[in-house]
Amino acid sequence: MAMMASATTGNPYEHYDNTQIEQDLIDPDDANINDFDDPVQSNSDRAPLTGNIQSSSSRNPLPQGYLNSSIPGEDRRAPSNTIDESVWETLSRDLRAVWEKMRQVLWPKYLLGGILQRGGGIGAAERGEGESLAGGIRGIAGRWPDADVVLQGEMSEGLRDWDLWGPLIFCLLLSLLLSMPSSSDQKTAVFSGVFAMVWIGEAVVTMQIKLLGGNISFFQSICIIGYTLFPLVIAAMLSALYLPTIARIPVYLVLIAWSLAAGVSILGGSGVVKNRVGIAVYPLFVFYVGLGCLCFIT
Amino acid sequence: MEEQARQPRQGDLSWRLSSHPITLLFFLGFRISSLFMYLFGIWLLSKNFVLCFIIVMLLLAADFYYLKNIAGRRLVGLRWWNEVDTNTGNSHWVFESQDRSGEGGQNATDKRFFWLALYAQPALWVGLAIFAIVKFEFIWLSLVVIALVLTITNTVAFSRCDKFSQASNLASTAMYSGGLARSIAGGMFSRLFR
Repeated sequence: MAMMASATTGNPYEHYDNTQIEQDLIDPDDANINDFDDPVQSNSDRAPLTGNIQSSSSRNPLPQGYLNSSIPGEDRRAPSNTIDESVWETLSRDLRAVWEKMRQVLWPKYLLGGILQRGGGIGAAERGEGESLAGGIRGIAGRWPDADVVLQGEMSEGLRDWDLWGPLIFCLLLSLLLSMPSSSDQKTAVFSGVFAMVWIGEAVVTMQIKLLGGNISFFQSICIIGYTLFPLVIAAMLSALYLPTIARIPVYLVLIAWSLAAGVSILGGSGVVKNRVGIAVYPLFVFYVGLGCLCFIT
Repeated sequence: MEEQARQPRQGDLSWRLSSHPITLLFFLGFRISSLFMYLFGIWLLSKNFVLCFIIVMLLLAADFYYLKNIAGRRLVGLRWWNEVDTNTGNSHWVFESQDRSGEGGQNATDKRFFWLALYAQPALWVGLAIFAIVKFEFIWLSLVVIALVLTITNTVAFSRCDKFSQASNLASTAMYSGGLARSIAGGMFSRLFR
């Protein structure tokens, strides 16, 4: 780019500077290479925040050499200034984060067989439709620089920060509701059994995704799977209310499909090697179906 | 009566010296109530294991959340969280600390309560874990293990956070005063005898 700038007098593309349409696509000649977005590196919404951190830490070089601890970490002098906020602000922010995650589950982006929203690039990408969609997505969100990034699957905003409220609450609810109809001497066994099964199942599914090359953190995956248990909690509640067996079959199938759709649409694009999405999703399927059967037989 | 007569020194574990009494009350309340429910809940709830388990779990979760997000920053001006890099899936810890160079730091009473409760709680749960193993109560042991994981996570994170904040405080005071060597030496010295 710098060489182009030096030879700008003989530049046959000089008139490109005057056109209005192309201005975003052609880099200005006097720009530095460092001014442009780096398509390889993280271009997420966090980018300005990261820049802030780095500049602040370079102003205060930390003598971290004597802190010999096994936990790597980073010190931050309150970049987003959450340390002096009121209690209510903290609570409302976290409640909103929980609600955002619930919303992702209640309206799955990618229902089985089709794309509901334009944002369903993750689901489309994994089915090999990424090429046709990539152009459209690039038009919609100019910040996404490359088809590769879209193919990798971008975790949506609310799901980046995991919490364990959803898994905890839904796991407790599921265990409680399933143990309610059973006889009093079996209650404890059913409760602890379901409780352990949910957590172990979540761990196994997560390990599977990790081993297949998914770029998702352990707790993030646990968080998402925990939130997608919500439809199964409804199933368990129906069982606790003694829904007749005939009515259970279609209702529970729909609920399991709902869970699976939510799980796949969120987890599916987590960077699993392209042709192995099916293998990665299969244990998730088994997990949901198993819990669904458990709801069915109680 | 005697306490009234005695002049409370700064840093004593006295109620009236706290600058955030309500925060402190809730903090200690959550910490103690989870232990209390674990120990006595089974009698209070007429041997209903399921209900007792759920209540203890919820109390533990509330304690974890409250300590991490509210008590930590109100009482000692520290905060930590775990951030995930979406491109690689790696998570790393982020520590935040209040700038203490300005207004003389936090209340010493609050600090003492905080660190005492922070370190005492895992120790108590370890004791209960040994107790549960000896009595072969493996169902209760699972609850103790969950409690241990939650409390130890917070303890490790906050002590780490404290180290980081001391380091950055050191750095900033050194920057401003210029006496780098003296400041670092003083910081090390004060840490040894804290």
